[in-house]
Amino acid sequence: MASVTVAEAHGHADHAHETNTGISNNKLAMWLFLGSECLLFGGLITTYLVYKTPLPGQKGPKEVFDIGFTSVSSFVLLMSSLTMVLGHSAIERGDHYRTRLWLTATASLGAVFLSGQIYEFTAFVKEGMGYTSSRFSSAFYTLTGFHGVHVTVGIIMLVSLILLSIRGKLPTERAETVEIVGLYWHFVDIVWVLIFAVVYLIPVGAPV
Amino acid sequence: MTATAVDHGPAESGGHAEHKSHDRTYVITAIGLAIITFAETATYLWPKVPVWDWGDGVGITVSLLVMMAVKFFFVGAVFMHLKFDNKLLATTFVAGIVLAIGVYLAVLFAFRFFSAGTHMV
Amino acid sequence: MADDTAMLALPAAERPRDLALGVFTRPRSKTGWRSWVNTVDHKKIGIMYGVSALVFLLIGGFEALLIRAQLWSPRNSLLSADQYNQVYTMHGTTMVFLVVMPIGAAFANYLMPLQIGARDVAFPRLNAFSFWCFLGGGIFLNSSWLLGGGADGGWFMYAPNSGVIYSPSHGIDFWNLGLIIAGIASLVGSVNLITTVINMRAPGMSLMKMPIFTWMTLVTQFLLLFAVPVITVAQFLLMFDRLFNANFFNVAQGANPLLWQHLFWIFGHPEVYLMILPAFGIVSDILPVFSRKPIFGYTFIVFSGVAIGFMGWGVWAHHMFVSGIGPVSVMVFSLTTMFIAVPTGVKILNWTATMVGGKLKFDTPMLFSIGLITMFTIGGLSGVSHSIAPADTQQTDTYYIVAHFHYVLFGGAFFGFVGGLYFWFPKAFGVLLNETLGKFNFWFMLIGFNLTFGPMHILGMQGMSRRIYTYDEGFGFTFWNRLATVGAFTLGSSILFLIFNIIYSVRRAKKLGLECPNDPWDARTLEWIAPNPTPEWNFDPIPTVTRVDDFWYRKYEETADHRLVRVATADEVVQHSNGAGVHLPSPSYWPLITAFGIPILCYGLIFTLWLALVGGLLIVAGLYGWALEPPDDPDAGHDHHDDHHGDAGGEHAGEPTEAEAGSEAKEMETVG
Ligand SMILES: [Cu+2]
Repeated sequence: MASVTVAEAHGHADHAHETNTGISNNKLAMWLFLGSECLLFGGLITTYLVYKTPLPGQKGPKEVFDIGFTSVSSFVLLMSSLTMVLGHSAIERGDHYRTRLWLTATASLGAVFLSGQIYEFTAFVKEGMGYTSSRFSSAFYTLTGFHGVHVTVGIIMLVSLILLSIRGKLPTERAETVEIVGLYWHFVDIVWVLIFAVVYLIPVGAPV
Repeated sequence: MTATAVDHGPAESGGHAEHKSHDRTYVITAIGLAIITFAETATYLWPKVPVWDWGDGVGITVSLLVMMAVKFFFVGAVFMHLKFDNKLLATTFVAGIVLAIGVYLAVLFAFRFFSAGTHMV
Repeated sequence: MADDTAMLALPAAERPRDLALGVFTRPRSKTGWRSWVNTVDHKKIGIMYGVSALVFLLIGGFEALLIRAQLWSPRNSLLSADQYNQVYTMHGTTMVFLVVMPIGAAFANYLMPLQIGARDVAFPRLNAFSFWCFLGGGIFLNSSWLLGGGADGGWFMYAPNSGVIYSPSHGIDFWNLGLIIAGIASLVGSVNLITTVINMRAPGMSLMKMPIFTWMTLVTQFLLLFAVPVITVAQFLLMFDRLFNANFFNVAQGANPLLWQHLFWIFGHPEVYLMILPAFGIVSDILPVFSRKPIFGYTFIVFSGVAIGFMGWGVWAHHMFVSGIGPVSVMVFSLTTMFIAVPTGVKILNWTATMVGGKLKFDTPMLFSIGLITMFTIGGLSGVSHSIAPADTQQTDTYYIVAHFHYVLFGGAFFGFVGGLYFWFPKAFGVLLNETLGKFNFWFMLIGFNLTFGPMHILGMQGMSRRIYTYDEGFGFTFWNRLATVGAFTLGSSILFLIFNIIYSVRRAKKLGLECPNDPWDARTLEWIAPNPTPEWNFDPIPTVTRVDDFWYRKYEETADHRLVRVATADEVVQHSNGAGVHLPSPSYWPLITAFGIPILCYGLIFTLWLALVGGLLIVAGLYGWALEPPDDPDAGHDHHDDHHGDAGGEHAGEPTEAEAGSEAKEMETVG
């Protein structure tokens, strides 16, 4: 989905001054898409909240989560938002070398986060909590899995941008493409901010 | 493979003179976010800190939700430029958020999520 | 250089490319079937939406007739209970997702850009992608008939009845994945059309000067934007349950089936508004033309539409009054449902007031519009009776509900659509549909419709349950069921009659060489400034708008004593340019290829994951081809550059000459 939007983004760069609102079509489209995504992740988070308490004898959040590990990977993803926005401001300055540097950093941090998630999933499965084990496990894997897929799509878009930039096809005029990919990336980061607090940190059994 | 923006650079730089200061804002925001993340983790590591150890678990939940909202706000406002950009974009996004919060909170209320504790469903 | 060129927009700066990715020649054909397959023209896409919806209407209508034939007599055995379940499920699903929604999309695609004075939508290729996704999803869903039977859980697909245990065939998997594909179409379409309305209006066309159909399209697309992801979540959960043994609706693992109901109806209620609002828009644009008066209370009509859009989000649990959601929820949703009748009532009052004191002309589009107002009012009133929870408890799952929503969706939405078809057919095809046949068509349809669904009110009150494949003798159901069945076949014939009228009128116009007048109805809204049928380039030049009903006020002027005098004939106002200076977005195969991969992937999910891999690769290849293909073919249209240049991204102020474009391309090489 999102990559389609970006694909279109290649088409109509910088007509911002020609639209009724002054916002470019691409940017408006990305924001509309992100507004829609709020309802998607909201639904998944709600499902998780309804199902987070395990039935007697099943493994629940308390038993499986490794908060220390997740805190580190959350921090990694958060910092990738900083590198992303620095990449955007580099290309606006016309500094293409730094743009590539920051975008590479962003993609790498995203990859680290993703590896962490894969490691976490395998650890859980080894502990005996598979996808079908309980309503909690299904809800947990689905929510975090959807987020992981979003991160993956983001990484693919970032790598595409880096390759375009290396081949000289990401001129300063198309800085907005970087900004739009950035919007998507920050949104994915924001969703993890929610997941980190709601899924990992708020203790089960607390009155919320 | 050096990045020269000979042809486009000068034309661009005029309109974007304030970008250096933006970079500073970004870094400061990131530092703030990192500190909040550390505080979030701290609620787990040291649950007995009086700042959040009140109300039989309510304190932790409330503190975490507040910190979450603050992080959310700053990523949106600063990194996603909602603070500097056309208000229409913020409206679109906020519409999605408000709608999501509204309908899904109603679902959770209907499931007695906030009153039945772990015995819900 | 203030303007950047099409060159700079290319990810691949090397120009001209004959082969995108070296595989396909850039499509150029403007006639024949290829021009439809690779089109990115919003008008052709709109027509394809309409034609596909018509085909699905015949399928869904056939299913409806099967239902009615089965219910002709007590203990009838035309369909088994299992077959009946499949037929009514597929009837409902087809009519909602593959008929009413896409007809709305057809009108939105065709008309909305014309009504705001744009040459195309914001993202023409995404638009084609939306259409192909919708068609792929629809075919995928209906292919279940050949691959083990259709879905059998009702269009609402309640859990846990939709689980593998209760529905072991693949029908529900087809339903699930088919609707996810159609959902992609709706979501992409909504992003595209909202961007178009917000960003691509002609000079002077402020939001409050837009034709009401465009306004209702905007509200509809916002509803889609936010509602589609909700059902997508629900469908993903169901898919994981059915295909990968997850526990979302597995009661044995403590799952709560009400979760499905909530998610489904959070989507489902906005869904009913997004089905009806386009028809409201159509009627609001037709009524003033045939009343020869401006719409009464333009602002009220617009804001009541927006209000419906907002309030539609707060009423979903009225579908769940008997599911045990608790007294507080019942009371809250009961109240919100009563309130939502207010903005709908405002619209009905406005339409009535528009007609009062007007010089009414009862042409076919007007008849269907009046049909909508009256039939929808009946459906709306029975709807209000559902908002009263104790009454609803009696009505739930009876034919009273079936009567209600058919009055709203057929008597409301569909009558509006047929009226719109009669009204805008000359716009799209340059042929006026036959009036005599049209009037006959209207009365035929109105009588058939009331004969079908009127008796269902009585059946419901008598306690006849929906979704049950038969009934016993002596319940007093037989007579009313027979009446409804007679009505259903009448209604079905009236649809065939509509198709006959189309074929007859088109053939006749061709044979006699009839020229369609440019303004057959003395219309008001902007789309009529373009000649009939609409040329490929829509407008040349882009008109400048000064007020609501701009087209009308180019023909008429108000005198000092508030009388209207004709100042220009329609032919003087309608544009007669040959579009020579207009540069349009180039056609492309990639949207079709990308969209084609999705159903393949879904077949793979159901049958074998290897096929899913093939589908996935096709999607990835499609996306990359898409991304690397310039939206504007550098070779097309080099012969004419001038100030009327327009493309999908908006209006260029001017196009650089060949030499400038070349030098810009060279500059590109130095970057990076
Ligand atoms: Cu409803």
